[in-house]
Amino acid sequence: MTASPVAALSDHAERVGPRAYWELLLNLTKREVKGRYSQSLFGFGWAIIQPLATMAVFTFVFSRLGNISGDGVPYPIFAFGGLVPWFFFLNSVNSGTMSLITYRNIVTKTYFPREIIPFSQVCSRLIDFFAAGAMFVGLMVYYHVGLTRWAWMAPVAFLLLVLFTTGVTLITSSVNVFYRDVSPVVQIALQLWLYVTPVPYPLSRIKPPWRFWIELNPLSGIVECFRSSLVYGREPDWHVLGISAAFTAVVFMGAFALFKSLDRYFADVI
Amino acid sequence: MIRLDRVSKRYRAGRSRTVVDLIASKLRRGDQHVYSASRGKVDANVWAMKDVSLDVTEGAGLGVIGSNGAGKTTLLKLVSRVTWPSSGRVQVAGRVVSLIELGAGFHPELTGRENIYLGGGLFGLPRREIDRRFDEIVQFAEVEALIDTPMKRYSSGLYARLGFSVAIYSNPDIVLVDEVLAVGDAAFRRRALESLRRLISEGKTVLFISHDMWNVRRLCNRILWMDGGSVRAYGPAAEIAERYMSEVNLRALGNQQNALQSHRGGTGEIRLTQLDIIDGGTGRTTDRIVEGGPLVVRAAYEAAARVPAPVFQIAIVDVDTGMIVASASSSAGDVPAIVDGHGVVDCVFESVPLRRRQFVLRMTITDSHQLVSYDVVTAGPRFAVVAAPAARAGDDDDEDGLVALPYRFEHRMTSVVR
Repeated sequence: MTASPVAALSDHAERVGPRAYWELLLNLTKREVKGRYSQSLFGFGWAIIQPLATMAVFTFVFSRLGNISGDGVPYPIFAFGGLVPWFFFLNSVNSGTMSLITYRNIVTKTYFPREIIPFSQVCSRLIDFFAAGAMFVGLMVYYHVGLTRWAWMAPVAFLLLVLFTTGVTLITSSVNVFYRDVSPVVQIALQLWLYVTPVPYPLSRIKPPWRFWIELNPLSGIVECFRSSLVYGREPDWHVLGISAAFTAVVFMGAFALFKSLDRYFADVI
Repeated sequence: MIRLDRVSKRYRAGRSRTVVDLIASKLRRGDQHVYSASRGKVDANVWAMKDVSLDVTEGAGLGVIGSNGAGKTTLLKLVSRVTWPSSGRVQVAGRVVSLIELGAGFHPELTGRENIYLGGGLFGLPRREIDRRFDEIVQFAEVEALIDTPMKRYSSGLYARLGFSVAIYSNPDIVLVDEVLAVGDAAFRRRALESLRRLISEGKTVLFISHDMWNVRRLCNRILWMDGGSVRAYGPAAEIAERYMSEVNLRALGNQQNALQSHRGGTGEIRLTQLDIIDGGTGRTTDRIVEGGPLVVRAAYEAAARVPAPVFQIAIVDVDTGMIVASASSSAGDVPAIVDGHGVVDCVFESVPLRRRQFVLRMTITDSHQLVSYDVVTAGPRFAVVAAPAARAGDDDDEDGLVALPYRFEHRMTSVVR
């Protein structure tokens, strides 16, 4: 903290220490969460109701009308297991896309590592994710679904989910600064994305040649991995998960590089 | 320490381009123009800063002045790394805190306490450092009573005060202040200025943008005068301030005819056709009055009809504060009982004991009961009060206030301690 009395001239902004970086991320996340749930009677309740309501709709539409089964488990818990990661992704990308615009006030007026803003958007959705996760545990008890040794794959799926979500958010938020068209495009894309992700249906229901394309969607492997580890308690499909992991790594690194190459122009065009 | 080396900053004018414009531009690669589907070729470049080189040392207060759009804020944004130069180098040593807007990082739903941590974090301050300075921050902003209240309940002045306080206590090496002292009450402004002055004396650097030459002179030892994105002048505060003021005065003088046309009110039975400041010594039109010297305000009027007993009122207004420092009003015997046609009224001030600042004249012609305003000129000619040619050496205009009352100090020894 105590800078040397005669600091050297530098061409770059002073580095933010890891501690200050982390604290700023926490503070912005807190600001985001507080802002979202203040003056709301239900508060965190909405984090659970959103996937729960969709689960009910899916159960009716896909299970009753569409005759899609949960592949050996009750359909509601099957759907919920996919909806929790899905809504994390959906909400993060949705609010993340506009985040740099929403925070234009500080982007144009102070310097700090800009990626903290989309990061904090994703982090703020973690709270929703874990609230819904607690609900999922309730469902496991209700439907008598026990944990197996494959439960340890859930954190792996979680890590991939966070990385992929962050990557997509970094891309959409930074490009959206330059072209606001990104936001409506993202809205539409997210609607379609749900149906090419095995959230309402199991991946096993998809037959070639379509299956190949669905597997290319990184969220497929992630959602399937969540389900296999917690709902079915069995070994994940390593092939599908491998594709996800590879794509996630590429997307995240590419997104971060893109973001850092664009971020110096944010204040000029916002 | 701050060093700018041939820095230019270009903004693109045609920012909100459509896909059609974009394709058109791509087809003409390398062309420095934006092609708009509706307007054709548009010059794409707006130079906010052109080829600026500058060195600012530690422990300096640098005033940045210039008209709107001169590049002052761009300079601050470049130094704070909010934006990057199009060409050239910007080098900075130490931690920069920018006060381009007070409390920009605050969230209205969070309490004052939470926002101190959020705002401090945005300035790169770790939590334990904020813990250590917390009481000082709160005390300086005088928000003790509301510290656990959401900031949406704060007044705008209080909001700004806390923003300033967090910034000033975040241990900066360089502080950038952009016209933010306009908010807050007079007492806070004074304390804010004091704290900036203290930082300078501690060896920190303060870049201070302000249109208030008074504050600039009080805080800064050097002034950077920017004009159209370039450095117009850079040097000792007193010298640059003087040059700047005289130019502003000249410009105001050039616009005088226009000034009389605009900001006009009243019913129009009588209209001022000319409003001049006359040097009481030479009898010529001027824009400078010597401290303590005479001043004549000459008003030429035209009455469209017979107007009974008009009253001419003059106010001398301080340009920076808008405060009326003196006023004069004609009484019954001064002007004829009935005026008709053209005439000239002189208002003679035998001596003008005003400090060296800028003033603007305001003139109103009303009926004898001062109920009807015939003509109102809110922004008439301006004048600057300047030092007498034979001013005492060391007789600086460091003194506060608007009016120079004659004074002397007298001292008597009342007892002697052995």
